[in-house]
Amino acid sequence: MATSDTKKQPTANSLKSGRWVASSCKMCLHSCGNLIHVTDDGVINKIEGNPTNPSNNGKLCPKGNSAIMRHYDPARFKQPMRRTNPEKGCGIDPKWEPISWEEAFDISAREIKKSLDEDPRKILPSLEDFQKFNIWAWPLAFGNFNFYQSGGTMCGGAYHPMNGFIHSAFGCANDAKYCNYWINNGTGDGFSSHLHAAAQSNWVAKARTERNMRVVSIEPRLSIGSAKAEEWVPIRPATDRHFAMGMSHVMIEEGLCDYKFLKRDTNAPYLVGEDGLFIRDENRQCYIWDAKNNCAKLWNDESIGKIALEGSYELNGKPCKPAFQKYKDILAECTPEAMSEITTVPAETIRRIAREFAKAAQVGATMKLEDGRTVPFRPVGYNYYRGAQGHKHGAQTNQAFKLVNMLMGNIDAPGGHMGVVLDTKEVDINHCAPGESGMLAPTPHQLGPTPPFAYPPNTYHLMDYFPLGVNPPHFNLLVHEDPAKFGMEFTPDVIVNCHSNPVWAIQGPREKWFDFLRSMRFIVCVDLIPTEMTDWADIILPSNDVLESWNCTMIEPPHTEGQSFRQPAVPPLHDTKSEEEIFYELSERMGILEAYNDVINKTLGFEGHPELMLELDKKYTDKEIARRKGLLWNGKDIDWYMERGHSVTEKRLDKWYRPWEGMRLHFYIEDFLIERDKLKKNMEEANVPFRHEWEWDDYQPLPTPVLDPVHEEPPEYDLYAITFKDIQLNFGESLSNPWIKDIVYRDPVHTGLLLNPKTAAAQGLEKGSIVLVESPYGHVYGRIGISEGMHPETLGISNSLSRMKSKDSGVLPAGGHFNDMLPHDLRNTDAASGQPETVCKVKLTRLDDWPAFLKEGRTVYDQIADYEQAKGKGGQH
Amino acid sequence: MSIENKVFSGDTLRVGYRFQRHWDNSMAYAFFCAELGAGLYFVSLLLNSIVGMALGLLLVSTGKPYFHLAHMGVPTKSWRAMLRPDRSWISRGVWLLAGLIGAGFLYLAASLFGDSLGLEANSAVLWLLKIAAAACALGVMTYQGFAMSHSSAIAIWNSAIMPMASLLYSLAVGLAVARALVPPAQASGLTDTLLLLLLGLAVMHLMFLHSGWHGGPGARTSVELLLQSVYAKWFWGLVVAVGIVLPGLALSAVPASALAGAVSAVAVLAGFMAWRILIFKIGVFEPIMRMNPFHTAG
Amino acid sequence: MAKMGMVFDLKACIGCNACVIACKQENSLPDGVFFTKTLSEEYGVFPLANRVYIPTICNHCEDAPCEKVCPSGATYTRADGIVMVDDDKCIGCSSCAVACPYDQRTQMDAENFLKGLFGTGEITPFEEQGYGRYTPGTVTKCDFCSQRVDVGLDPACVVTCPTNARIFGDLDDPHSAPSKMIRERHGRPPMPEKNTKPKVFYVN
Repeated sequence: MATSDTKKQPTANSLKSGRWVASSCKMCLHSCGNLIHVTDDGVINKIEGNPTNPSNNGKLCPKGNSAIMRHYDPARFKQPMRRTNPEKGCGIDPKWEPISWEEAFDISAREIKKSLDEDPRKILPSLEDFQKFNIWAWPLAFGNFNFYQSGGTMCGGAYHPMNGFIHSAFGCANDAKYCNYWINNGTGDGFSSHLHAAAQSNWVAKARTERNMRVVSIEPRLSIGSAKAEEWVPIRPATDRHFAMGMSHVMIEEGLCDYKFLKRDTNAPYLVGEDGLFIRDENRQCYIWDAKNNCAKLWNDESIGKIALEGSYELNGKPCKPAFQKYKDILAECTPEAMSEITTVPAETIRRIAREFAKAAQVGATMKLEDGRTVPFRPVGYNYYRGAQGHKHGAQTNQAFKLVNMLMGNIDAPGGHMGVVLDTKEVDINHCAPGESGMLAPTPHQLGPTPPFAYPPNTYHLMDYFPLGVNPPHFNLLVHEDPAKFGMEFTPDVIVNCHSNPVWAIQGPREKWFDFLRSMRFIVCVDLIPTEMTDWADIILPSNDVLESWNCTMIEPPHTEGQSFRQPAVPPLHDTKSEEEIFYELSERMGILEAYNDVINKTLGFEGHPELMLELDKKYTDKEIARRKGLLWNGKDIDWYMERGHSVTEKRLDKWYRPWEGMRLHFYIEDFLIERDKLKKNMEEANVPFRHEWEWDDYQPLPTPVLDPVHEEPPEYDLYAITFKDIQLNFGESLSNPWIKDIVYRDPVHTGLLLNPKTAAAQGLEKGSIVLVESPYGHVYGRIGISEGMHPETLGISNSLSRMKSKDSGVLPAGGHFNDMLPHDLRNTDAASGQPETVCKVKLTRLDDWPAFLKEGRTVYDQIADYEQAKGKGGQH
Repeated sequence: MSIENKVFSGDTLRVGYRFQRHWDNSMAYAFFCAELGAGLYFVSLLLNSIVGMALGLLLVSTGKPYFHLAHMGVPTKSWRAMLRPDRSWISRGVWLLAGLIGAGFLYLAASLFGDSLGLEANSAVLWLLKIAAAACALGVMTYQGFAMSHSSAIAIWNSAIMPMASLLYSLAVGLAVARALVPPAQASGLTDTLLLLLLGLAVMHLMFLHSGWHGGPGARTSVELLLQSVYAKWFWGLVVAVGIVLPGLALSAVPASALAGAVSAVAVLAGFMAWRILIFKIGVFEPIMRMNPFHTAG
Repeated sequence: MAKMGMVFDLKACIGCNACVIACKQENSLPDGVFFTKTLSEEYGVFPLANRVYIPTICNHCEDAPCEKVCPSGATYTRADGIVMVDDDKCIGCSSCAVACPYDQRTQMDAENFLKGLFGTGEITPFEEQGYGRYTPGTVTKCDFCSQRVDVGLDPACVVTCPTNARIFGDLDDPHSAPSKMIRERHGRPPMPEKNTKPKVFYVN
């Protein structure tokens, strides 16, 4: 193969004759800066991180390193196609027939329009392109609020609204630049997952190696983050809130809090009446108790001598307490000993970590910033994500974590716990606005407008009843099972799907979801490669991939702001189109073009910028949209962006540290009660039949130690089951990529259902045992793997063992899907946020052999056996 | 710790032992042919057995290169293997093989046709050829052992027992086969020597097991594989029982029987072949974990 | 004279294997071939269990056993200490493979090139432009991205490592980043008992 001729030229791909294109990544939903090398022959042969981007600093995660294999995947959809096999299902060959774009648009627009004309609510959008909100927001063009995608509740249903309440931001992170004591609770932030994996792990590694930042990781499984932490605290699943409340108990009992912060920068001193609402004057202004003068004064009264955080008082004859005292009352029963019973974490550990955390917080310390401000310096942060927050009482759980931070006064302080905006254009439109009574205006709806209350409902997933929450897509199934119960007047019959795999990603039993999909009259999928979902499509509209397309975006970057710019490194390999071209074409044919442009103007922030506003009757290219987004950010035209690939800089200090300066943060979230009462009233008035089943107790202004219902399942379900991803599997599709597959199934944590060896022995199981795992809601099959890094009550199931067959895809099925075992009902969904429970109780039954359906064809376990016994590669002979 | 508790990581990303697999069965057959051929030639040379010498040379010049080339990744360039005799035992082996084939063939030819060429029976040329052939044969009989023992990678190979085993086996299989080829009278005179060699093999195996068992983790693991894994039955059955005990008993019981001689020869060969294959199979690379000086378990 | 080497910071490494994929990208490695790997192993007993991530790579030993046993002269050491394989000279005897205590040698299997990365027999343009550098049957390994080093770049795995767990440079230069790290954080070579004098060190 090698000749002396080829030898003279460099053989290292990055050194071959060619050019570098500055662009940005989309192998997960984030947008690290990258450089794409294209040879003189037009082949993309190397992708590296862009070292000029201060977010990822030239680094890329394994997924970012694998984009080439997505681009050249032989299974990519190469032209529009039409199904010829009427039988649909995961792994069933749709028998695609290539058609022209004209025909594909024609059929798709005709079928969608049929529903649009009958009742726009019959259209079920499933648009998961998180880097293109102009696509995400498409259904608003016809007033449709349906939602059949995982974004939202399966990532952070309760998390995002809570960040909106506390920081007026979408996400949150700890400030790796100064943090010295970093708690991770059920998150891989800085190690394996969450925000900008490559960027954040780069920042956190520097903090750990250069500053010896201490990391404490609390979770049931020894994840990467726990393995790297100074301390791993194994915890019973779904009890993280209790751990945080135990810590808070200690901090308050021992007087370790930042009282100045609580008094001046939060509503903790606001007086709360017995009804849970703030006591207000006729102008809706709140009161604070002046302990010096022993009377209540308005929050902004400059004559207040000493702000009371504690105590019971009377105002206008009504008993009241400062919000802080209300939490102290709740925490009275949350002793470390009591929380230890629930969490299995030793009381002494809870107490010690609370003290260490408070000590490291350096309450009272300040830092002079370069912008001249002197702000609190609080080098501690308690961060958390899906593992900790994804539970029935998600809103309370998120708030409990926030309050640990708030007690330390570290909210948006250097070294502390930071709000992270979604698209950084928000920092310039001043995402922190004053609300009432000196408080920051809460912004729980970080993903745009939500539908108003209506009965009968206007959404199939009941979003009409989540005034403070995120879309609960699992309710599509709940309603599908009994539409009459929910007074549903319409039945969705068309799915418009774009880069979304809901049949994989949303919880509830697959068989029922399959039934849901079978009920659809027409499904169109805009995608790159086959997935479980595209096996259900009637029409495939193939899109350009990340290396062939334009975009300009920035998704929740910790530490930085600006726009990540994407440009085609090469022309499309196949007969594909941009998402913009596809949705504009559909919109025009459906007669909603003008409305769509109007939605884009609002969504992307072009409104108010006449030079950027899209003309309503025109169709725009992805390039033009990207150009305008660049202009919107910094006034630079597309040539500037094409040269640099981004406009990312470190966050401006005034936008990063305490951007809400002068406003009070929500220690106490009265809105939960106000919105609950409004909803209750609306439901009563409309005589909503299921209002008695509604989980009204979920709306709490402060966290309580109530147990999530998962702990109350029948006793024969004697283990908890959790699922997890790692850095190679972050966010969406990964395992169709041969390079990712290559590293995932060689990693022991992804090769079996993980059990602590003592638990396995007690259950009569050993490494390699084949088991049936049953929850009260569904089941999976699997093979036991042993790990000392598992909480003894917990079964750990890697997400890589939760795939199904899909036609032509390299993804291998395992023994079912973890999500099958999760509930999709009201009881296990947080009425306050839409967050469903994401762990379950299970029982294990040992089987002699795999069930028949898993013996047909190749599964994950065959692949794993190949690696473990690899002949000729270090395995058995 | 026994073999069940050890991690064999295969082609995974787990720290563990990895099997030596770069030298495969084809290489084992090549080693077998070389050592049997050279041993047979050497013994036949001493016994003046033309048939033995011819057979030995045949094996060395056909079986060995055939199986070795079958193992080579780039057989067409295999001639390059001769380029580094200064440091590589494989290179030295190529020269030794060439020497054995060259000198051995010439000596054989001289022995057969020397008279017609006018060579005297005890001429200096013949002696030189004989010494050269014998020396090369001894080299071929041992160099593969040196090639294995030379590097520290596969701990069980990294021992002086490897060349010793090569030499002992070469002599034993050479003698066993040669003994079956020579006239009965001559053969019976060789019985004691062969029994002695079998005893030597037994002692060698004991030393091998003992030093491996008490050696480092890699060597210990290899011995455990030999004694506790699927390889145990092949080791005890073929290498020990068939390869040493059976011929030992047969030769002791009926030393004069030609049948016993033939059976013994086949048995010793079978044992040797099993040994050659097993020694490759049980070779392991040690887990990198050992190098992590920072890790304190538990 | 330079002596190029690498330090692995075990405290920083998160076992993400981005390095592995960067290497596959840069070197057009066929399926199942690795020039570097990050391994992991659990140790300890719950709740004191932990897992270490250990990057591995060719150690470019000063006393390279693979070079000593190479009968064809294909394996050689460059002036800057990088141990190279000239695949024009390699005969694929695998002597180096059994001589390397770190099991860092891989014989290139012709079938692997034909199978392709997707295992379907379809060879992508990426593979097409890259496979030409290899001769099936030869035994290969990491060369510290020697061509990148020649033009002043770090190896691909180093450049991409999100946690800066791979530090590359001249060990002869006492002021180089790896030299300082080895000195200050007591770097240790892998398996020193194998007497190969690795130019790769581990710090914690």
